[in-house]
Amino acid sequence: MEDVLWYVLASSRGGPTRVRILRALDERPRNANQLATELDMDYTTIRHHLDVLMDNNVVRRSGDDYAAVYLFTEQTTSNWDMVETVLETVDPEER
Amino acid sequence: MTALLTIAWLAAAVNVALLLALGSIWLRNYRRHGASHTLGLLVFASLLLVQNGLWLYFYRLHSSYIGWFVNSGADIQVGMTLLCGLETLALIFVFRITWN
Repeated sequence: MEDVLWYVLASSRGGPTRVRILRALDERPRNANQLATELDMDYTTIRHHLDVLMDNNVVRRSGDDYAAVYLFTEQTTSNWDMVETVLETVDPEER
Repeated sequence: MTALLTIAWLAAAVNVALLLALGSIWLRNYRRHGASHTLGLLVFASLLLVQNGLWLYFYRLHSSYIGWFVNSGADIQVGMTLLCGLETLALIFVFRITWN
């Protein structure tokens, strides 16, 4: 999982955006529309990044309908320390 | 058999283009956050860029290398072309997971 996280969040074109999505989902589960509003980004862009995160087993959808919210997978929750290390490296939070 | 010569230098040129695109993503991301994972990929891309620059030089400008290539047997010509061509395929796969 560690390699996947570094690749998907730090070493690919959309990495910094996916870090913002993970931070927003860490606050609370949201659907794609809420994420688009929260991050001030295009709905289709958000969907693209969510698809990449799902393909890599970082997030999952709860349900299949249009308003489905996105949650972390079991793998992500059990490796949360590692996720935090990557998030802090890619986008250090102001403290 | 100059067709293989053409394919070989075209593959090297495509490799250079792919590596510049990959390198620009990794350089931008590395300057942004300094992750060592990204730095590793940046070094990887830089070295392959030098390698493909050398290939381009040999295939386009080095007359004795070109003379050796066109007068070689099919095994050498196909083999040398595969060196560049297989790298193009490999880089396309890396590009696909990096560009998204």
